[in-house]
Amino acid sequence: MKFFVCCKQVPDVAMAFQIKDGELQKDDLNYVLNAYDASAVEESLVIKDAVSELDLSLVLMGAEKGKEALRKGLAMGANDAFHIEDDAFEGSDSHAAANVLEAFFKDKEYDAILCGKQSQDMDMGLTGGLLAEKLNIPYVTNAVGLEVNEEAKSILVTRQGDAGQEKVELSFPCIVSCSNDMNEPRIPSLRGIMQSKKKPMNKVSVADLGLATDAVGKSGSKSTLLSMDFPKARKAGEKFEGEASELVSTLIDKLTNEAKVL
Amino acid sequence: MSKILVIADQKDNKIKKSTFEVLSEAKKLADASGSSLEAVILGEAIAQEAKVLAHYGVSKIYTVENSMFKNYLNRPFIDGLKKVIDASSPKLVMVPTSESVKDYLPGLVGATNACGIMDCSAVSLDGGKVQIERPLMAAKAVSKMESSDDLVILSIRSGSFDAVEADTSLSCDIESVDLGTVDIKAVFKELISAQSDRVSLDDANVVIACGRGVKDKSGFELVEKLADVFGAAVGSTRALVENGIAEPSLQVGQTGKVVSPDLYIAVGISGAVQHTAGMSNSKVIVAINKDEEAPIFSLSDYGLVGDLFDIVPKLTEAVKELKAN
Repeated sequence: MKFFVCCKQVPDVAMAFQIKDGELQKDDLNYVLNAYDASAVEESLVIKDAVSELDLSLVLMGAEKGKEALRKGLAMGANDAFHIEDDAFEGSDSHAAANVLEAFFKDKEYDAILCGKQSQDMDMGLTGGLLAEKLNIPYVTNAVGLEVNEEAKSILVTRQGDAGQEKVELSFPCIVSCSNDMNEPRIPSLRGIMQSKKKPMNKVSVADLGLATDAVGKSGSKSTLLSMDFPKARKAGEKFEGEASELVSTLIDKLTNEAKVL
Repeated sequence: MSKILVIADQKDNKIKKSTFEVLSEAKKLADASGSSLEAVILGEAIAQEAKVLAHYGVSKIYTVENSMFKNYLNRPFIDGLKKVIDASSPKLVMVPTSESVKDYLPGLVGATNACGIMDCSAVSLDGGKVQIERPLMAAKAVSKMESSDDLVILSIRSGSFDAVEADTSLSCDIESVDLGTVDIKAVFKELISAQSDRVSLDDANVVIACGRGVKDKSGFELVEKLADVFGAAVGSTRALVENGIAEPSLQVGQTGKVVSPDLYIAVGISGAVQHTAGMSNSKVIVAINKDEEAPIFSLSDYGLVGDLFDIVPKLTEAVKELKAN
């Protein structure tokens, strides 16, 4: 079997960041492998351990330093990586990203493409489904569990839906977008890190993919990010300390007479 | 003059509250820009319920009724909505966010070659341009985006807009659209649903949520009792789902549901950004936590510093008494 995982390198959203004149200040950011993508890599490796043969490749589009995210996936246990790197990617939205990935995958053989359900920086969650539509293959999002049936060439996906967990069977080839509720991604071992340095890291350019430069980046995008800002902070209200029954009567009074929600 | 199409979201053939929020805002946008407003609803048996959409000033309603909508799969939604979009040819499509919408919308955006933007919290029209605001970076930042594409499809974050009062005197044309044959390359196998008589998180006016502080199943049950006297939904942080105390469908946060009830009571929740990303839009927030430094207090209207195992049962009794009178 052949799986690909689409990876993105994102700023660590747990850390503090600065916004100046409507722009995110990129210099002080710490970049990591998108957590949802790490779950997709982990789940592939669990399948790899359980199934006789699984060849796992990673693909990432983005800047030069994106190779650190790919190295992490290789150290976790993926076989090889493709780094689609081009200056023309600046300002890409989900649509432009899907154009690039479509061009990458159109002549590739694969059973499944896994990706994170969204990127932690943009929280958009469009690229996987868009790519599936472009490749004309079925997809399921927000997966929390996967079971591969090698003989039937299918995958049973458990996704978190509105009314509960939905189990859906997809025939290969297909795309599954993964939730971080699926697993706890492994931390690469020292041996894994050493081995990752010898694993193939294939460089791919926009020209290699036969894409015109206006199909990618800002001109390949359908939306434009105008500016960023910090949200209006909620003001901290009143804080009460004391004996439990006093606290309860105070709260009931406030909710009834002040907030008027009771 | 252009057109706005709202996709109604329903559960068990009942339109969800979030749909009325989106319809109300879409009507405002339509009136301000001289556009017309249409709506579409898809489901197993929705012909009756569809009429409710007219009460929000919609000039035409499309219905797509088919037994294929019984169990959720994305393909029937993508194909059905593509047909309606082709027939209606709107400039802007708006739909309230849900797990199903997050699933089928990327495919619909691809199938209609539209510009898609997910999880918007504000929308405006400026000539041929659609401008939106949406949270990002785990809701620690807000972005402004715009698109001048011919067709823009937006999912709307719950609680972003207030629903107006329905005008039951209004009615409009209803057109039934045939779904036709759908090439589904997926098979629905099973729904594992947490059976509960409680109101769902999406529709709840009051949410009682709990985190690590409740410790175990018996602590969780205290919170359930409090929810029951309020007629509230129960929510949870990721930690409680991970250790099996809460059902996954109860998770509120960046991975999980985004809720904006009138009253949100956070019990034993420290207030990590991954959780607050899903609830900070609630109208009134109450926090109960023994750690007075807990970050949840910084966004709470009322904070009770104390032991939840003392406070929650007493609060349950007090609310029960209040509701009885």
